[in-house]
Amino acid sequence: MYRKVTKIFTIGRKTLLSSNVKEIVRPMSTRAVIEESKEKWDLYASVLVERLPIVSKSLNPLEREFQDHLWRVEFENSFKSNHELKHERDLLQSELIKKGKMEVDLDDSVSKQTAQDLKDAYLEELKNFQPALRSTADDAANRTASTDRCLEDTLYLIIEESLNKQATQLLPQGPRHDGETMRQAAERILLEKCGSKLEVSFYGNAPCGFYKYKYPIEMRQGSVGAKVFFYRAALNGGKVDTSVVKKFEWLSKPELEQKIKNADYTESIKKFLL
Amino acid sequence: MSLLATFSKLALQSSLRQVSCTAISRLQVSPILYAEPLKKKKKLDPQIIKQREDRRKKKLEKQIRRLEKNARQLKPIEELEVPLTLLDERDKRIRKLEPLSEEEIERRARLTKKWATYKHQEKVSDFQAIDRLLQSQNKALNELRKESEELYQEAIQIDMTLLPAKTCGPVATPPIKNYVSPDGDYHKETKKWD
Repeated sequence: MYRKVTKIFTIGRKTLLSSNVKEIVRPMSTRAVIEESKEKWDLYASVLVERLPIVSKSLNPLEREFQDHLWRVEFENSFKSNHELKHERDLLQSELIKKGKMEVDLDDSVSKQTAQDLKDAYLEELKNFQPALRSTADDAANRTASTDRCLEDTLYLIIEESLNKQATQLLPQGPRHDGETMRQAAERILLEKCGSKLEVSFYGNAPCGFYKYKYPIEMRQGSVGAKVFFYRAALNGGKVDTSVVKKFEWLSKPELEQKIKNADYTESIKKFLL
Repeated sequence: MSLLATFSKLALQSSLRQVSCTAISRLQVSPILYAEPLKKKKKLDPQIIKQREDRRKKKLEKQIRRLEKNARQLKPIEELEVPLTLLDERDKRIRKLEPLSEEEIERRARLTKKWATYKHQEKVSDFQAIDRLLQSQNKALNELRKESEELYQEAIQIDMTLLPAKTCGPVATPPIKNYVSPDGDYHKETKKWD
């Protein structure tokens, strides 16, 4: 058995090696990757800040139907609990007492709590506690600048900037300075654009998305255009500093697609939005 | 022989000569007993008695402690059995429900099939989403590599601060703002099965 295995390995070695060169494994390619872009591009870093959902998603009709089905099946396959048995015994006792076949023990009946009494007491206690509502006041008023909205969905931060004398909605972005890694650039840009009160945690050193655009010919000063690398970050708390940014919004995915006008930009962004 | 001796006294002639018919003469048989006479009991030192008793007590206590330790340890769930009290009460606890109608069975079968296709769709779209995210990231990394090898190498570095990661998942109702918790101590009564 073993001999056969080694034979296959030695014969098929070449094929194994050649198939190894896939996207997942990044070998140091010996081929000269010196396809230096003869054009000069500015490197920009951008941050996608996500406010993750606070409340679980509500069930759609099929899910609700299946949920009821599962509960019903569980009930049918179950046995009666102690509470249910006690309830049945209480009912029998009250029947007998009505018919006069059993005397009411005055000593016991004062302290005896029927199963129904216990259940009512529990329900009363539950009613006294009011949980918070799943849709908040900000939902009703549709205040897009607050994170307290759409608690079931992920919200993404969109900032309005004036690019090329036009007000555009986009994810906070800015150029990378020399000596910085892309991630450090992203962190700095977030501080500059949104203030220091925002608490985020970045998801690693690698960018999650890419978008490139060329400057209009009048604006080209050395570089042809900009390459934007997007980084993903999760919001832990805090707020956007309103003194630094005037117009910003926290939008869910469908709202975002409507708001951003540039179709190419939206296409690039949608690739890494869940 | 003694008989002979006693009867010879009655005889006129005295003949005290011993006559033996067998070889064995002078054989005497003791009375027939059914047990051995009891041995004398040696008086033990009271200290030694005490020591023996103490040793016995200690052994028993040790065994009791060992058994109790076993009882304190939780049984693995595979070893748990239905308590006998419940088995005895089975008839009382069983639910008597009407048998399901044909339509109901049909409806349930249809619902389960619908659910299976829905869940399958969900799984497929999840995998597609994962693929989409990976593609986007790979493209970004390739473009970064084209731009500058140095930045690319720094981007591939593993971020050690990411793990161990801790999150609290979505809840049914959001936390109440400015909630004043009632006075008193908080005793956690959740059972732990380790």
